[in-house]
Amino acid sequence: MSANYVVGIDLGTTNNVLSYVALNFEDAEVQLLEIPQLTAPATIESQTSLPSFTYLGTPGEAEQGSLDVAWETGRDYAVGQWARTRSAEAPDRTVGGAKSWLSHHKVDRQQAILPFNVGDDLPKISPVEASRRYLNHLVEAWNQAFPDSPLIDQKVVLTVPASFDASARELTREAALSAGLPENLTLLEEPQAAVYAWLSHQGDNWRKALKLNDKLLVCDVGGGTTDMSLISVAEENGELILERMAVGNHLLVGGDNMDLAIAFEVSNLFKEKGTNLDPWQSVSLWHSCRAAKESLLAEDGPDEHSISVLGRGSKLIGGTVTVQVQRERIRNLLLEGFFPECQATDHPQRNMASGFQELGLPYEADPAVTRHLAEFLQSHSSEENQPLQVTHILFNGGVFKSNSFQDRLINVLGSWNPDSSPVMLDGDHDLDYAVARGAAYYGLSKHQGGMRIRGGTAQAYYVGIETAGLAIPGAPRPLNLLNVVPIGMEEGTETNVPSQEVGLVVGEKAHFRFFASPSRNEDKPGTLLASWNESEVVETDSLEMVLDTDESIEEAYVPVTFQSKITELGMFELWCVSPKTGGRWKLEFNIRDDD
Amino acid sequence: MGRIGLAFKLFFGVLFNSNTALQMQTALLPAPAAKEPEKKTAAKPQPPAAPAGLDALVLLATLQREARFLDLFQEDLESFDDAQIGAAVRDVQRDTKKVLARLFAIEALRTEEEGANIELPESIKPHEIRLTGNVGNDTPASGKLAHHGWKATKCEIPKFQGNLETAKVIAPAEIEIV
Repeated sequence: MSANYVVGIDLGTTNNVLSYVALNFEDAEVQLLEIPQLTAPATIESQTSLPSFTYLGTPGEAEQGSLDVAWETGRDYAVGQWARTRSAEAPDRTVGGAKSWLSHHKVDRQQAILPFNVGDDLPKISPVEASRRYLNHLVEAWNQAFPDSPLIDQKVVLTVPASFDASARELTREAALSAGLPENLTLLEEPQAAVYAWLSHQGDNWRKALKLNDKLLVCDVGGGTTDMSLISVAEENGELILERMAVGNHLLVGGDNMDLAIAFEVSNLFKEKGTNLDPWQSVSLWHSCRAAKESLLAEDGPDEHSISVLGRGSKLIGGTVTVQVQRERIRNLLLEGFFPECQATDHPQRNMASGFQELGLPYEADPAVTRHLAEFLQSHSSEENQPLQVTHILFNGGVFKSNSFQDRLINVLGSWNPDSSPVMLDGDHDLDYAVARGAAYYGLSKHQGGMRIRGGTAQAYYVGIETAGLAIPGAPRPLNLLNVVPIGMEEGTETNVPSQEVGLVVGEKAHFRFFASPSRNEDKPGTLLASWNESEVVETDSLEMVLDTDESIEEAYVPVTFQSKITELGMFELWCVSPKTGGRWKLEFNIRDDD
Repeated sequence: MGRIGLAFKLFFGVLFNSNTALQMQTALLPAPAAKEPEKKTAAKPQPPAAPAGLDALVLLATLQREARFLDLFQEDLESFDDAQIGAAVRDVQRDTKKVLARLFAIEALRTEEEGANIELPESIKPHEIRLTGNVGNDTPASGKLAHHGWKATKCEIPKFQGNLETAKVIAPAEIEIV
């Protein structure tokens, strides 16, 4: 069946959104799917976003059918709004932030490890399974709304953080396919999707808004993560084109940290009044702080804001406790904590106690987005101690609903290059839905041969090769890194990596350590690194393969070289090829067992 | 020859018998158009209609769950001073407003400023405009807008998958396991 729609899916850390646009209709508009979901037991409501939470129900709830959805009865879990509510009421039975776990190399992401650190008698699921459930919910909701155009037959674009490396992308794709998304699913980087959303409003006018050599910073601060990308304006055949230059590291800091920071501050005010909040009240306080955040940050807001925690039981008024919060205090807390003024040469503080530490996920030690930004811009600048000069900014993520954050970020960038302050891109910054909308627009423009952002791979990839030489007892052999994919390798291309041959032992599992770098722009396939800086090259999931015993192979080991490939859909593949036998073997990510 | 006989019989019947005349008049009315044969579509079986009142209970449950609506309105205000009530109401109002906006997207019916003199059309729809004060038989040309009225621009009550009896539990008892 041929596709009738292009569908864009934003699989977010805190929310999922599905957008769509009809193919073969002129001027068709991108729309958002109303997603039916449980908002309470046995209660279904449609909302445009599906919170990324899974509630693992009790056997009783499944039996009673209180977690049923239109497409499944007897279900023993819930995703979406009700699951989010339950995350506060019954945290040990709820999974949140599964997406952040997908790029966390220290754990087995196929293992049922979430919720993290709860007793073994409680149900658990894997990070991949949680993502599969959100995507499957979207698939079923779509199929219910469009029974004549099942999602498996549509053109689907799924967004991932720009900083997701090859193995996190592989896992996302795996979850997507098992959720019922089509094989020809395309992955798109989130910040690029936000740019496409902007382009969709601008049409050809973008060529007036941006000029040659402009540098656009896309700053996306979501609920749980921060993602940055740099887009540059280049010229080709006399036409302006957009190229994604660089992506920043995946930062586990976002709007939720800010809400928590306010809640922590305000709970101290309650303590001063002699009120110690219980866990339930703390969650309710968090909710109130989130609601108060925007007015507390507004330039012209009232100087004082009262924040209350309602009584727990039915005696609402009698149990309510209130404190007066100084607006300046909260403004300072958030601006100086998350967007402090800093020097262009600053670096994030690596071992700062942030108060947000939680076992498991590697939360950022330094929550200052501006210091991370400084480091990002330095690492992509051609001049020492001089950050790359940003000319334009596009904001994304709900955090930027507060203008104070936008203004502060622009000011800080301006202070690094006083002669030319960056300007915010004109037009609609649809902070909550731009990524999903942009994904659908990208799919449409790909289909119609329209504007595309160039980029290729955001990271360079390296295989670890042990050097031959005298073995020193007790010391591991020195490791060299062989570049197999350079930054910016285009989709649909492959390359033979020039290198010395590596011997694969027949019948045994070959195991390669694997590394990624978002900043080593100069390295080409075949470049061999004997030493590297840990801040620019990080180890990710290893790769492995088994060379089966084969009649055509008469040797005990086969010398091979590497061939790397980026598929049309943006997936990375690494192959071992034997010049001698002509054999080719694909390496797979070893995600299951990483220790 | 039967038809000529029938024609005469009817002619005199209509002329002298009012009953027959009425019957004939009815018989001469244009026949209703034949009903189109019902389309046999493979439509999904429609879910049974929700029992009366279910929506109202689901709305109450939603307001209680998200805004503590019942807790506020069921409480006896006698023993509290206004500041204490105000502190609690602020939160309940904020959350109630959010629910109402989501389910009903409520807007003012008239966009004019309250207190302004507004012109009235010749015939007014009584469900949209209620006249107060000196109300005569004829609609006056203008009047003062005392209240702008409200309207729901949508109505999306959550769908409840249980029955009327379970819906009557507006909020379950909450038991904390320690």
